[in-house]
Amino acid sequence: MKKKLLAVLLVASMATSIVACGNKGQKPSSSNNGDGNTTVEATKINTDTTTLKVLLGSEPDYLDPTLNSSTDGAALALNSFVGLYTLDENNNCVPALADGEPEISEDGLHYTFKLIESKWSNGEELTANDFVYSWNRAVAPETAADYSYMFAPIATNEDGTLKVEATDDYTLEVELNAPCAYFYDLLAFPTFLPVYQPDVEAANPDGTAPGAWAQNPGFVCNGAFTLSEWKHNESMVYTKNPNFYRADDVSLEKLEFMLSDDDTAIYAAYNNGDLDFVDQKIPSDEIESLKGNPEFHVLDSLGTYYVGFNVNSDIFDGLTPEQAAKMRQALSLLIDRQWIVDTVEPTEKTPADTFIPDGMADGNGGVFEAADAGYYDATTTGAGNVEEAVKLLEDCGYSFTDKGDGTYDISPALEVTYLTNPSTTHEGVAALIQQDWGKVGIQVKVETEDWNVFLEDRKAGKFDIAREGWIADFNDPINMLEMWVSYGGNNDMQLGKNPTPQAPDWTEYDELIQEIYVETDYAKRAELMHKAEDMLMSTYAVVPVYYYNHIYLQKSNVEGVYATTNMNIYFMYAKKTAN
Amino acid sequence: MAKYISKRILLAIVSLWIITLITFFAMNAIPGGPFNKEKATDPAVIQQLEARYNLDKPLGEQYRLYMKNLLHGDWGISTKSGRPIWNDMIEKFSVSAGLGLRAAVIAIIFGIILGAIAALNRNKLPDRLIIFFTTLGTAMPSFVLATLLLLVFCLKLGLFPVFSSENPNYTLPVIALAVYPMAYITRLTKTSMLDALNQDYIRTARAKGVSRTKVIFVHALRNALIPVITYVGPMVAYILTGSMVVENIFTIGGLGSTFVTSISTRDYPTIMAVTIFLAMLMVVANLLTDIVYKLVDPRIKLD
Repeated sequence: MKKKLLAVLLVASMATSIVACGNKGQKPSSSNNGDGNTTVEATKINTDTTTLKVLLGSEPDYLDPTLNSSTDGAALALNSFVGLYTLDENNNCVPALADGEPEISEDGLHYTFKLIESKWSNGEELTANDFVYSWNRAVAPETAADYSYMFAPIATNEDGTLKVEATDDYTLEVELNAPCAYFYDLLAFPTFLPVYQPDVEAANPDGTAPGAWAQNPGFVCNGAFTLSEWKHNESMVYTKNPNFYRADDVSLEKLEFMLSDDDTAIYAAYNNGDLDFVDQKIPSDEIESLKGNPEFHVLDSLGTYYVGFNVNSDIFDGLTPEQAAKMRQALSLLIDRQWIVDTVEPTEKTPADTFIPDGMADGNGGVFEAADAGYYDATTTGAGNVEEAVKLLEDCGYSFTDKGDGTYDISPALEVTYLTNPSTTHEGVAALIQQDWGKVGIQVKVETEDWNVFLEDRKAGKFDIAREGWIADFNDPINMLEMWVSYGGNNDMQLGKNPTPQAPDWTEYDELIQEIYVETDYAKRAELMHKAEDMLMSTYAVVPVYYYNHIYLQKSNVEGVYATTNMNIYFMYAKKTAN
Repeated sequence: MAKYISKRILLAIVSLWIITLITFFAMNAIPGGPFNKEKATDPAVIQQLEARYNLDKPLGEQYRLYMKNLLHGDWGISTKSGRPIWNDMIEKFSVSAGLGLRAAVIAIIFGIILGAIAALNRNKLPDRLIIFFTTLGTAMPSFVLATLLLLVFCLKLGLFPVFSSENPNYTLPVIALAVYPMAYITRLTKTSMLDALNQDYIRTARAKGVSRTKVIFVHALRNALIPVITYVGPMVAYILTGSMVVENIFTIGGLGSTFVTSISTRDYPTIMAVTIFLAMLMVVANLLTDIVYKLVDPRIKLD
């Protein structure tokens, strides 16, 4: 009797658990109503129209815009500071504190900006000197800002300070090294935002804690919101800054940020109406059900996911640079990109056929990649290219035995290591590539390393093949081309670094990038950038797989939030309605 | 007793010193570094940062400087966020400890009561029910329990918000933290209580006509608590320092996730500080356990 009772209790308990797990309440999912029409269940909304509740990520490292180097930190900076320029909802650079367009000298080197009258959050006047101070602080070695190199286009004095001058309170003069097609994009970048000198210096008397001034609520800023509360690893509350230059356009009173990177908790909070906006952190197994739902948004972004080959790797030993490139080309042709975006990446990503992503500007008023441009047909690479890949590999000294089922044995045996970091997506991509390359008998060993070690090994060239990705900081191809100079810190593929006999000669590429830097004719500059991309792609050291995109969830009662292609998000002009 | 305590404190200092030594050299032996970022940082910036955190010096010298600063009360600056570690650690510890303390109290009180009820009703329905639920409580991983609580009480019943900056939900995490130790204490209490109830002195007490309540609470329970105390000491220290899983699911800014994050980001000063702090807590908890032993059972000789 007692055993029976225990069994009944056990079954009842399990049933309760299963029911609880199987029904997550109000999900923002789409469902078919039987007539072929899709109906969408709206999720619970919160009706506090004065507060927008947002998830960007976990605890930010730095709120000082000069020291920040993360995407979520950039969004926080852009909503609490404003610079000379900003990006609008169409990704255009538009004047913010700059009073209209600047005067530009004929040679394109000298810019004179007039500033509008504006205030810091404490009511003090913001002047041109604030920009002189902030920008020089950003490049000062003792500040140790990750993004200090973004100021490279601005000319420097002998003492290392920038050639930036405030000729009066509202006039700022800037001298460039060479005409810069993307200068306005830089001006809208978080590292170029002004900081309040008295606070910065007071909090850092001995120069060893440059970010200390922005570590607690109440620090002075000039953007739409000021930080009023910070519970570490829990939440941040920003309140409206009445001194913001467009305060009248800001209808929200508060921005609340949940600080978390736990997908389950975040998704539960969104469904429960505790969040109005979730950036990126959506559980991947929920994405399929969210497609077609108006709360689920997918935007293109300027970034490319790619497979990178270490050109100095042992796997190319004994080959000429041309043969090594052919070998990589064969491997590129074998990757079934469509399969990857359909299987591993559920967020409607586009297979990539160029390194510079679709939609990036060319610095001359146009788009860099023409619609029909591409180094191969990214939608058909994979199984259909096996024969072509075999021919290319035969040119590299390999021979093949046809197994009769569309696959081959390779001789001599070829084993390569594919390095990645732990992640369902990255390991999923690795597994598919393993199968693709296995069709011609190549053994792929997938090695997964802790993120920190992975970064170090990739930079040091301690790998054969690695998963890679790059999201552009600003909308100009140079950002994705200059990384491949032989002395570049992001040149993981080791192009031109301690070159081995199998590596391509990279001197011409280095020279080409220098030429692009000083080219004053923007049409010619765009041509040179195409040449650089051609040169890069001809090595097949960089094998694009897909273009990144940006996903987010936003409640139906919210409008006016906008995200740009470099993944910045602007919340200040958002409006919330009660239903 | 005083002699014993001073001896234990001296021993604790030696243990802590060994812990700092092992942690320092072990964390430096792991590959990776605190300034590794996906987008390469200028070597001049890295050099500046390494100089700021003394990472440009030989390892032995780094350790000497760290210990010197620590003995002067300087716990260092986080390489990840540039924030002073002591303030952050104490703030996060107070959150973890607040939740942990409540969970520990619940676990101890209910654990002992349920254990005693189970023992006194051996093989009867209350015992069966208690054992069923304690088996469930010890077998269920905390992430499953925490997710289940979130699902049922926040999403289904709507009793708590999943996230709120004004009124954070601390009830569910306390339950999630308390269930496992409570179940464990229940089982421990039941076993040792049954053991105690079968002892000769209980029979003697009953034969002498001592009331049932007195036999249970004064004679049986008091002796049954010794194994429970052995478990409770380290359990309290552990529970006070927070659980990463529970903190992540309920968005709580505790010390548990800070510790784990500091290791993955190679935030050396934070790894050191949190390890030393946790080791100190453990040492204190063990010492207190021994003292409580003595109070519960005067026969135990601490020396």
